[in-house]
Amino acid sequence: MTRSDAEPKARGAVEYGTDLAAPHMLWAALVRSPIPHGRIVRMDLGPAREMPGVVAVVGPDDLRDLLPKGALEAERPVFPLDEIRYRGEPIAAVAAETLEQARAAAAAVAPELESLRVDARIEDIFPEWPSEAAAKDPRVVGHVHARYGDLDAKFRNAELVHSETYRTSGVHQVAIEPHACLAEVRDGTFHVRSSTQTPFGVRDDLASILGVPPSRLVVEGTWVGGGFGGKGAAFLEPYAVLLAVASGRPVKLSLTFEEEFELGRTTLPSIIRLDTAVSRGRIVGRRVRLLLDTGASLPGRDFAVGYSIGFLLGPYRTEAYEIEGFALQTNQPPFGPHRAPFAPQSVFALESHIDGLARRLGVDPIEFRKLHAWREGDRTAYDQPVGPFGLEAGLEAAARTAGVWRTGLPPGHGIGVACGFWSTATGAGGEARLRLRPNGLTILQGEREIGNGSVIRGLAAVAERVLGLPDDAIRVEYGDTATAPFDSGVFGSRTLGALGQAVEKAARSLAHTLASRVGAPAIRLEMKNDQVVVVAGRRRQKLADLLTPAERTAGGVVALGKHYAPERTVDASRVLAGTVYPYQDFTAAVHLAEVEVDRETGHVRVVRYAAFQDVGVAVDPPGLTGQVEGGVVMGLGTALSEEMLWTPEGRLANPGLLDYRLPRIRDVPPIHVKTIEGFAGAGPFGAKGVGEPPIIPVPAAVANAVADATGTRVFELPLTPERVARALKLL
Amino acid sequence: MSDRPPQRKAINRLLVEPSVSFQLVRPSTPEGAIRLLSQAGAGEIAVLAGGTDLSWDLDQARIAPIQVLSLGKLPWKYLRWENGSLVVGSTLPLRALELDPHVKRRLPGLWEAIRDVGSPALRSRATLGGNLGRCSPVSDLIPMLLAFDARVRIVGPNGAREHPVDMVLQESRRTSLGPAELIESVILPASGPSAYLWQRVQPVNDISQVGVAVAFVPERPHWHIALGGLQPRARRLSEAEAVLRSARPTRFEMELAAQEAARRAEFVSDKRATESYRRRLVAVLVRRAIQTTVERMPKPSPARKGTR
Ligand SMILES: Cc1cc2nc3c(=O)[nH]c(=O)nc-3n(C[C@H](O)[C@H](O)[C@H](O)COP(=O)(O)OP(=O)(O)OC[C@H]3O[C@@H](n4cnc5c(N)ncnc54)[C@H](O)[C@@H]3O)c2cc1C
Repeated sequence: MTRSDAEPKARGAVEYGTDLAAPHMLWAALVRSPIPHGRIVRMDLGPAREMPGVVAVVGPDDLRDLLPKGALEAERPVFPLDEIRYRGEPIAAVAAETLEQARAAAAAVAPELESLRVDARIEDIFPEWPSEAAAKDPRVVGHVHARYGDLDAKFRNAELVHSETYRTSGVHQVAIEPHACLAEVRDGTFHVRSSTQTPFGVRDDLASILGVPPSRLVVEGTWVGGGFGGKGAAFLEPYAVLLAVASGRPVKLSLTFEEEFELGRTTLPSIIRLDTAVSRGRIVGRRVRLLLDTGASLPGRDFAVGYSIGFLLGPYRTEAYEIEGFALQTNQPPFGPHRAPFAPQSVFALESHIDGLARRLGVDPIEFRKLHAWREGDRTAYDQPVGPFGLEAGLEAAARTAGVWRTGLPPGHGIGVACGFWSTATGAGGEARLRLRPNGLTILQGEREIGNGSVIRGLAAVAERVLGLPDDAIRVEYGDTATAPFDSGVFGSRTLGALGQAVEKAARSLAHTLASRVGAPAIRLEMKNDQVVVVAGRRRQKLADLLTPAERTAGGVVALGKHYAPERTVDASRVLAGTVYPYQDFTAAVHLAEVEVDRETGHVRVVRYAAFQDVGVAVDPPGLTGQVEGGVVMGLGTALSEEMLWTPEGRLANPGLLDYRLPRIRDVPPIHVKTIEGFAGAGPFGAKGVGEPPIIPVPAAVANAVADATGTRVFELPLTPERVARALKLL
Repeated sequence: MSDRPPQRKAINRLLVEPSVSFQLVRPSTPEGAIRLLSQAGAGEIAVLAGGTDLSWDLDQARIAPIQVLSLGKLPWKYLRWENGSLVVGSTLPLRALELDPHVKRRLPGLWEAIRDVGSPALRSRATLGGNLGRCSPVSDLIPMLLAFDARVRIVGPNGAREHPVDMVLQESRRTSLGPAELIESVILPASGPSAYLWQRVQPVNDISQVGVAVAFVPERPHWHIALGGLQPRARRLSEAEAVLRSARPTRFEMELAAQEAARRAEFVSDKRATESYRRRLVAVLVRRAIQTTVERMPKPSPARKGTR
């Protein structure tokens, strides 16, 4: 099987967002705030308007004239109307004939600004752990609090209480393709082409930011050169639309790499406190507290805390707990999702904590986890029933591998285990239209391929499996938000699990139609001489001969499939403040890492790695392996080297790939990918999504391996050599 | 699928190319190059070898030359052995040195320093002349050149001269070259075993937190130790060298030399490492580099081994 996008991508023939172009197009550049917090006293855009090649310059004062009233009332208007909230926040934008001219004009804007107090870090807001009253601080922009059971009694009667504090750093998605879009106004409708994971989501975001109804917006995705959560919401599009309105011409805006870093929408730092009560060798209660930097938060910050915090209880039975989390508004760029938003960080804290606890109790860390692991039918912390769940099977498989690795483990090496869980098939839903033509099948849907293969290969694999057609007879087609069926987006490990269900239903409906036409209980399709052949038992008929005259004219048989996510509920009586989120479909991951630690320098090398992934059913095994390997490699970056470094004044010190260290190929160990099948999910044939799960346990598995090798725990991500050296008390 | 003709890609070059304009000149003789350099005013001309550093300076608008003089056509991409010395033309890509089996065998420390510069792609362009010309305090090559007592051959309007590398280096982005002078070659005298060790967060395309070069040379003092990662530039550490008296120092002497190096070096804290961590690294890596160098000493002959 070859992915149909492989060759054109290798030839450089596909059009990414950064490749967008249109006749008479203008180039845009952003004027970005040089201060992290303050107000605009005066901003004269006149000189920039006079610069060579400049066609339009827009700032906060222009919103009123250019956009409907709703745009001024948006929670976050296109430009800040009151406060500048982070360094680099766009405060005006320029469109000019060339990119150089646009950048020169943007650089010529010299606003007079008044600086306000800067909260660069969590510690600037809460130097001490916050008290009860903290939730009232205006910089607390999200507060989630839930409890269950008689926690005080559990702690009072506990044989042992294990208490620790963990810290994590900001990590960036680093899609190799920067954000890019092109906007134009056609017949009073705003048309936006954008490199996005969510064309429909961008349309709806734009509608609220611009104050226009969604029906006046059309968003078309381009090929996406990596998203990882960073391309899941409107970002550059509002500026481009505004400039297109002001100039009357198509406007293209894309970011430099430095801007990618400075405009954020990334994971930001956190501090996590965990207290666990143990009786008779079992966990009986947990108290979790989370301080999450959400930067110059955007709408959705509640979600950041409400979703993350559940991961701090883990996929484990919990008799009693209390969890409380605060989303803090600092003067950092806004928080944004990064592959499995905040789960690798939460899980680093929790799984390090559990590992340390197991060691303290003198029990095998894998056995200790098995003792508490969710099984199907267990209830989550918010009283949802757990569906088929491969955690225990994953732990058993991991135990076997760990046993093999353990024999002959060289000195200085250590083995770590970590578990993660994730909710897949999320999002509101998806629709797909299938058309079976005499010469093949087309799947029309609303997503563009973002690189992981879930659209171009995953959806095709579903149809292939239902209908029996070979891969090369199936084409996945895209539309814009005006022409394609709706879908929530390529995020949340949902494409195969949710949109795949729409494709599956449509394919089954096609099969059913054809079966009744040939009078058989079931059919299968084959290709012969480039013609679709319908096979029923021994009988074979060309599809062309089975079509009605109208279908022949229309081009084939059509079926629409839709999957809308079933509503899930939580036990609201356990939630005292804020919102917690129910899970959709349960998936587990168990990872093993073997590391070698240089006891004199603190340098950590990952020697080998194994990932046991609960997948339900492997619909596309090569694609699945690729996703798991990619997740592990990305997780190794979070574990060992990736970290956004801010100066005390809140300036990003490493806005580029030299000092923001992604894993290089030489850092990548052999990765064994093992699928755990048989615990069916809600997706097609029981499949579960694997976009995010494989990154989740990585930092914890590595940290636990370091603890195994050295007897010393590192409480902060990433585990850079210097941080490990400090933990080892080498300096 | 919206495939489209490749020529439309041209427009994208605007995005990746620095928005600067200059005239590129490519003289084919050293004399021609020197003439062009002599004619230009201060800051008007920039010298380009592999361009791995220069393109960054252009992109960041740190320099804004009218002309860029490429050394690409000069006959300086050579490597030759002369009476045991290795002579490396300044514009030879590092990759060629890396792939030369004699370099690896005869100057293992140099090979180790080169092998981990950037990535294979970078090494196919980057040159030794450019590395010296940039004179970065975190260069991986300069410490090794210092440890080898390398000499630099410089050509200019007044002919050629040759200096120890130590005299050519000044500080970041500053050498003792005159405005119309160029590095023609680097001469590495014959040396005994050598080793280069570094520490980075990542092995590829990352900057060394410290670099440690050790060479055991035929003349006294036999042991040469140089460090990179210091401010304002890499340097030899004679105090540490003085601790080592024999070809096979004891573990204690190695440790002492390493401690001495760690004590004497002028480190600073920056985003890549704190001062105290750099000191710690030097204390470890100097000892290991000496140890490795000792292990590379010629093995005692089998006859002697038999009498053990
Ligand atoms: C991603 C990346 C990773 C890197 N990793 C490392 C690393 O690990 N270790 C390391 O040491 N370096 C590293 N570098 C730096 C770089 O590779 C070296 O400095 C390289 O040797 C420069 O050579 P060049 O030919 O590209 O120099 P250029 O960029 O062409 O020139 C550099 C400077 O030297 C001057 N110059 C060039 N040749 C001459 C000459 N013959 N005479 C006089 N002046 C001259 C130029 O005018 C310019 O000022 C890295 C660079 C990058 C971009």
